[in-house]
Amino acid sequence: MVTGNRVAIVGVGYSTVGRNTGLSPDELMIQATMASLADSGLTVRDIDGITSVGTEPLNDAWMLGIEPLNWWASGLMVPAFAYSALSAIAAVASGFCHTALALRMIQQQPSGASMAAGTAARGNPMVASYFAAAAGDRQFLSPFGAGNPTQWAGLLTQRHMAEFGTTEEQFGHHVIAQRYHASLNDDAIFRDPLTMDEYLASRYVSKPLRILDCDYPVDSGAAVIFTTEERARDLQKPVVLVESYALTAIRDLNFEILEDMVRTAPAESARSLWSRTDLEPSDVDTAHLYDGFSVITFQWLEALGFCPPGGAGPFVEAGNTRLGGSLPVNTDGGACNVGRRHGANFCIEATRQLRGECGERQVEGADVSVWSTAVGPFAGAVLLTRG
Amino acid sequence: MSSTEPSAKPPMPVPDELTQFFWDGVARHELCIQRCQTCGHYIHYPKTICRFCQSRDLAGERVSGKATLYSWTIATQPFHPFWVDKIPYTLATVELVEQPRLMFMSQVIDCPEEELEGGLPLEVAFVEMSSELTLPLFRPARG
Ligand SMILES: [Zn+2]
Repeated sequence: MVTGNRVAIVGVGYSTVGRNTGLSPDELMIQATMASLADSGLTVRDIDGITSVGTEPLNDAWMLGIEPLNWWASGLMVPAFAYSALSAIAAVASGFCHTALALRMIQQQPSGASMAAGTAARGNPMVASYFAAAAGDRQFLSPFGAGNPTQWAGLLTQRHMAEFGTTEEQFGHHVIAQRYHASLNDDAIFRDPLTMDEYLASRYVSKPLRILDCDYPVDSGAAVIFTTEERARDLQKPVVLVESYALTAIRDLNFEILEDMVRTAPAESARSLWSRTDLEPSDVDTAHLYDGFSVITFQWLEALGFCPPGGAGPFVEAGNTRLGGSLPVNTDGGACNVGRRHGANFCIEATRQLRGECGERQVEGADVSVWSTAVGPFAGAVLLTRG
Repeated sequence: MSSTEPSAKPPMPVPDELTQFFWDGVARHELCIQRCQTCGHYIHYPKTICRFCQSRDLAGERVSGKATLYSWTIATQPFHPFWVDKIPYTLATVELVEQPRLMFMSQVIDCPEEELEGGLPLEVAFVEMSSELTLPLFRPARG
């Protein structure tokens, strides 16, 4: 349990999510924020802190009409929504602000085809860095034909297979289970059932990593409102409490030259998470584990102690992570199916599970949920309980 | 679609004060890695200061070019016009023998996919990718 104020989640919301929405970052931010406010019953005047990965908090506050803002933070090379959420939790717990809006705004990244054609870099600074002359650390990647995230994910996947005997079919079981969950989620983009044959027939992007192992690039805005338990008790939705949290970095940013590709930041994050609570892995009812690439979910399953090190493949293959299994994982369908939201979807789905709002995909008696973001050099995780 | 013709230029490295030694070494067909002259640790990627002893006395030194294979992935999708007609190729994280966990990102060549395995002994090979770019790649060690 955290010291200082006990922190609660009181509002969650998304913008319109999709390919080529034409929405600006400001529009995505406003839409997501308004949805989270409506969910909480708060108004914008109740917010006094903003943290964002993907937009500039001072501009966000200005656009929302928040004045004064008592606290703000933003990050670039961070574990995405975990960083937003953990910053907000720390700010509310410390009393720096009383009600913090945590944001993750994403503008869809260009396709591999447009990158191969050399047309993708226009207007996108992150992608432009792949094309510009390879300066700085990128001179040890781009000239070698390396440096795309799918490629480091391929390296992590291959190492998991080489070290533990994990099979391509086991990754397929994970992808198929997530798709099944998505079929029960009206918000999911991909909802058609998927078979193992279809998974195994899908193309490799960076073998053994397949296109179906990758999250789906979209424009998306997500917002979560954190406040004190005391304030949360007066609001309209069931209270969801932050039980424990961890934000961990183990090295600098070079995923491709990690010294140990199967025990990365999630392992240390999990150690930190469990050290701050009396709860144990066996207490968790639903898990929402980052799935930018399938192997990341496998690393989190092992790191958090849901299965032995290297045991994620058999654990998933046995059906544990499917609805009805011992530990339903990524019940919203995951970012492969709901679109890339860099962990915000997992915080939101964990919250909805604990509130009992998940309809057909609701896990009966869900009292404890964990969600996580990122892999490799840095990671974060949050353990939530029904208040 | 001139941008996807094989003549597309590769992403060219831009050496700087820290990395000039590396590319100068490549031009001589030598693999050079930054090494702390005070404590002896190799450092990659190059930094301005040794993170082991904080010494600023760093220099590029030739290494043996011997390594073992740590992990690999077969790149089947190009993300730059230069690689369109070169897929598939095998990207690899290799561990240089000079120091435990001294990892280097490169490609493995001259090795059928079924022979790729963790710990495979490798040696450096300097390959002309285009008239402008030579790279230190790795192939299975001979003997
Ligand atoms: Zn030193």
